[in-house]
Amino acid sequence: MHINEISLTNYRNYEKLHLNFDHKINVIIGENAQGKTNLMESIYVLAFTKSHRTARDKELIKWDEDYAKIEGSIVKRNRSFPLEVILSNKGKKAKFNHIEQKKLSNYIGAFNVVMFAPEDLNLVKGSPQERRRFIDMEIGQIQPIYVYHLGQFQKVLKQRNALLKDYQRKIEMDRTMLRVLTEQLIEHAAIIIEKRFQFLRLLRSWAKPIHQGISRDLEQLEIAYDVSVDVSEDMDLSKIVKVLEQQFQAIETREIERGSTLVGPHRDDLIFYVNEKEVQRYGSQGQQRTTALSLKLAEIELIHKEVGEYPVLLLDDVLSELDDHRQSHLLNTIQGKVQTFVSTTSVDGIEHETLKQAEMFYVQQGAALKEG
Amino acid sequence: MYYPEPISKLIDSFTKLPGIGPKTAVRLAFFVLNMKEDDVLDFAKSLANAKRELTHCSICGHITDQDPCAICQDEHRDESVICVVQDPKDVIAMEKMKDFTGKYHVLHGAISPMDGIGPEDINVASLINRLKDENVQELILATNPNIEGEATAMYISRLVKPAGIKITRIAHGLPVGGDLEYADEVTLSKALEGRREL
Repeated sequence: MHINEISLTNYRNYEKLHLNFDHKINVIIGENAQGKTNLMESIYVLAFTKSHRTARDKELIKWDEDYAKIEGSIVKRNRSFPLEVILSNKGKKAKFNHIEQKKLSNYIGAFNVVMFAPEDLNLVKGSPQERRRFIDMEIGQIQPIYVYHLGQFQKVLKQRNALLKDYQRKIEMDRTMLRVLTEQLIEHAAIIIEKRFQFLRLLRSWAKPIHQGISRDLEQLEIAYDVSVDVSEDMDLSKIVKVLEQQFQAIETREIERGSTLVGPHRDDLIFYVNEKEVQRYGSQGQQRTTALSLKLAEIELIHKEVGEYPVLLLDDVLSELDDHRQSHLLNTIQGKVQTFVSTTSVDGIEHETLKQAEMFYVQQGAALKEG
Repeated sequence: MYYPEPISKLIDSFTKLPGIGPKTAVRLAFFVLNMKEDDVLDFAKSLANAKRELTHCSICGHITDQDPCAICQDEHRDESVICVVQDPKDVIAMEKMKDFTGKYHVLHGAISPMDGIGPEDINVASLINRLKDENVQELILATNPNIEGEATAMYISRLVKPAGIKITRIAHGLPVGGDLEYADEVTLSKALEGRREL
């Protein structure tokens, strides 16, 4: 899969921009605050209809303008498809092959993108929320229906928490409504948990050998799903539902006292181990970075396996954060097969075959120029 | 922009209607000025009467100009089946079908704790009373197929189940006359879930 064209209108600091990409490797060069990351971000938004940096779409619209538009042309299974995302104060529209997709879950997944930015280096030691976001985004790319269940789960969770808060103010209460919402919550929670287990099994199988490779056989990576209920990987959906039912029943009184939903996918986390030690707590910074890199590379392979084509890779200002060894491992992996966008302030010091075949784009104050 | 008071008040009233912004309100207000006086008086009367003469039926909660409403009074309708809907507009939609001969119960909303709407804020208590007094055999739950509608249906079914009345939920899935290939995954999986033997 690759993108061969992008047009931006009123996107962040770009009033108008049109670029063609003819090469596998594209390097975006520019000083700070010129628009490198904005350009990378726009490719990401074209895939996910939202930014990896902000939850507020308004920030993506150029100052004083009403809307922002991103158009792109992607090639998938040797066929070319136009994509379009329009963000305005009234909301967003996403079109695949000229047809508006009312449900974003029908749009996301059409264009697969993997972003590797400095923030991702924090994936390992950052908050559980960041790791949940990572896993949710990845599963959503492969299985769009997951996005639906996640959305429904979050809605029920809000309703249920509101009801639990409400119960705290009331003296007499009827638990029927709470049980109804618990049943609804479990329906979606069980599917989310099952899909996360399935995804982790796959991610693990790709990430382990990659990590071994980067660490020159010195480190063994293990990934565990730290789930807030007593379920395990070998359980099927109906078993997970049963366990959840029992557990919610057991903690009902405590949840009413506390006024919030105490267990569920919104409380889960991922734990990474290197040589049987928890990387989050005991790993060195180097180990944490290697783990983050292994995960990203595994993600690329996983999408290739599930979708049948490699995703587009965005390396936003991240090459310079990696040491020579990790850099060359990354570049060796993508060489020749993954369309990649690299943003950097300078290519000096990055001596790699892959970059020599790259096309260079120079970004300055909201304009981008092709080299030569 | 300066408008004489009568017209600015009229503009203000139009803005209160759904889907009408300030510009359309101005256009409508000036249009009214050019209408025949009789038509304007008729219009005003209809507006006032709609509000004054319509009430909610004391039995089913549907909008009506007589209490009980025409549907509740109709002796040809099957009293043993009650279809529970969220909104008076849903009754009208069901009636257009001309296929349903039972009676209705309008909830006027769905349970949504987030918006401060609990079971006591919708028309559930009167439904329970009806079930006690009338000889009802089946309750059809036709609330909307979203989180709140679903939760409301589940809540009512839990409340009513001990009484031994048959409770059914309307099906959801593929639209009639639609193509399978255009259905989204969620709808398809719901349709598969609700499949039946032929």
